[in-house]
Amino acid sequence: MYGSSAAFDTPKKGEEIVEDPKKLAIFEARIERGEKIEPNDWMPHEYRRQLIRMIEQHAHSEIIGALPEGTWITRAPGFKRKLALIAKVQDEIGHGHLLYAAAETLGKSREEMINDLINGKSKYSNVFNYPAKTWADVTVIGFLIDAGAIVNQLINATGSYGPYCRALERICYEESFHLKQGHEGFVYLATGTPLQRKMLQDAINRWWEPIMHFFGPPDKISQHTEKLMKWKVKMATNDDMRQKFFDQYIPKVYELGLTIPDPKFKKNDETGKWEYTEPDWDRFFEVINGNGPCNKERLEVRRWAEEHGRWVRNALYDPKYKSVMPLA
Amino acid sequence: MENSLDPRINRLSLIKNDGSFALEKGENWHTYEVFHLKKRGDHHKHVGSLHAPTPEIALVFAKEQFGRRQKCVNLWVVPSREVYTFNMEDEDMFATASSPEKKYRDASGFKVRDKIAEYKKTHAG
Amino acid sequence: MKKKAIKDLIYKMADDELIIGHRNSEWTGLGPIIEEDISFSSMAQDKIGHALALYTILQETFGEPDPDTVAFLRPGKEFKCCHFTEMPNGEYDFSLIRHFLFDHAEKIRYEYLESSSEQNLVNLAKKITGELKYPVLHADTFIHQLGNGSEESHARLQTAINECFDQSLGIFELGEFEQELIDNKVFPGEKALRSRWFEEITPVLEGAKLKLPDIKNEEVGFGGRKGHHTEHLQPLLDEMSEVLTIDPETKW
Repeated sequence: MYGSSAAFDTPKKGEEIVEDPKKLAIFEARIERGEKIEPNDWMPHEYRRQLIRMIEQHAHSEIIGALPEGTWITRAPGFKRKLALIAKVQDEIGHGHLLYAAAETLGKSREEMINDLINGKSKYSNVFNYPAKTWADVTVIGFLIDAGAIVNQLINATGSYGPYCRALERICYEESFHLKQGHEGFVYLATGTPLQRKMLQDAINRWWEPIMHFFGPPDKISQHTEKLMKWKVKMATNDDMRQKFFDQYIPKVYELGLTIPDPKFKKNDETGKWEYTEPDWDRFFEVINGNGPCNKERLEVRRWAEEHGRWVRNALYDPKYKSVMPLA
Repeated sequence: MENSLDPRINRLSLIKNDGSFALEKGENWHTYEVFHLKKRGDHHKHVGSLHAPTPEIALVFAKEQFGRRQKCVNLWVVPSREVYTFNMEDEDMFATASSPEKKYRDASGFKVRDKIAEYKKTHAG
Repeated sequence: MKKKAIKDLIYKMADDELIIGHRNSEWTGLGPIIEEDISFSSMAQDKIGHALALYTILQETFGEPDPDTVAFLRPGKEFKCCHFTEMPNGEYDFSLIRHFLFDHAEKIRYEYLESSSEQNLVNLAKKITGELKYPVLHADTFIHQLGNGSEESHARLQTAINECFDQSLGIFELGEFEQELIDNKVFPGEKALRSRWFEEITPVLEGAKLKLPDIKNEEVGFGGRKGHHTEHLQPLLDEMSEVLTIDPETKW
């Protein structure tokens, strides 16, 4: 048996797919038992579609996420920060690589994914559409954005799709280094000169809205996620993850005497929930639809890389090797 | 375009995205499965896949993507299409491998302690 | 005098590694395929790591300032890197050829240093023997495959090497203390290095069906070892010190 192709038909728009109830029952029972789904398993179209969308977006976020920080590699102050930053940005590319491979096992080729990225058809995390203006921004990204990513990824690593979980396991391990290096840079600024503290507070203020946007719209306006949670594609709601992030990381901002630029922001001791001003969600959708400060540049840079590397890829391309999906 | 905040990007000449760019099928080459050996004496373990045009380049890439962050003494790469596999759905074919009926090939299926004790008791002295 | 000579050798080695490491690091996220981004980035990290190790020797044994100060706050004219390392990345073809030419020379240099009379260099060279294998394997593999790839890839590599080969010889520009280094058995000298380098790169180029260009001007890439640089170095140094110079006295 030869199982490394996972071809699937894309349903036409508006076409309702009726899944085989027997297969669906076996599939759901497997997930219910806590077992993983593997590439060649039968799976509902909607499961496959949502996973591809999610893993692909995650991969794009890593690849595009390498750009705002990559900006600072040549400028990073001193050997320690510089080597850590290069290694970190390299890891981001490495994560993109692992995630593309996980998405490929579901039947979408890497070429298609990159095309959809460059042509704006598939999305990536909004935070990477903002510029890293100063070195302090790099530490805010390295600490708080990476912390947000870890909250998200740790929980997704308990999902149902085997290849995604395995990729996330390695990613989370590497992210723990990212968080530490980001936190160290952050603490050095916070405990440094008045100028360094000011740089840092300004960066936090700049990044607060993107951070609030990071976990996505509040549950009350976000799409119906019940089925995705049952299938363990989505493991927690946006609001739950946001609260978890605040619980774990806001104390680490406060302990350094830094502030959050939202007068309403505080933890309600009775409910145990953080209260805050809702960020501008129209702005969130505007940025996701391509109108953030850096969307155009990010995609143009990606296109530059693809176009300027094409001669290398074409020179080594051998049509006798038909590409197949990776195995796992 | 406006000047980027990234000096590195300003050294490139970017062109506007007009939607015309498309990678062709196969342009990212084909995939290899990567097997990682942590230390001498272990088995190589599957750790993921990568895209490469030839086995030589697959090894060059594997060394950094799969050997840079953990202890590693050796790697194998195998074209994905050369790996033959069962279907996951045929998992039940293996299900009885460790069932009670197959204890006859398991160490736990053989118990003689009681027999020996009994023998010793009756032949004591 | 011997001390001065060794210091000069270490400075030029370290500055080469620092600058080419920075140039190579710019490829992170821009390479021809994401697998290659990862590989190129590792090699850039190693170069910068070697620079750090060398500056650390200068600090600990030769009383020079700490590595961050030396690497990121020194005036351009005190840099001893060769022009070849300073050139902007250009396209991947040039970056690949530079990586091939430079890294072969780097590997041989450290091989020589394994039997140097300067113990610090022996220790470093022995420590990184294995690490130096990868960049050469990487470069040789790509040169071989792209040289034998398409008409375009062959032509691009041939053009790139034609254009930069003379300048690459700047790697072997003699330093002020050349004879002393040789006499004191610190290092067998740039001439010896250069001839071994030729022996190593020639078969790889032949295997890739690439021609070693005729040398038109031996010394076109000279000057770096004496502190004279191309116009590309200073902007890069300014960038590298941009954050540190906001407040050089504090910790970042």
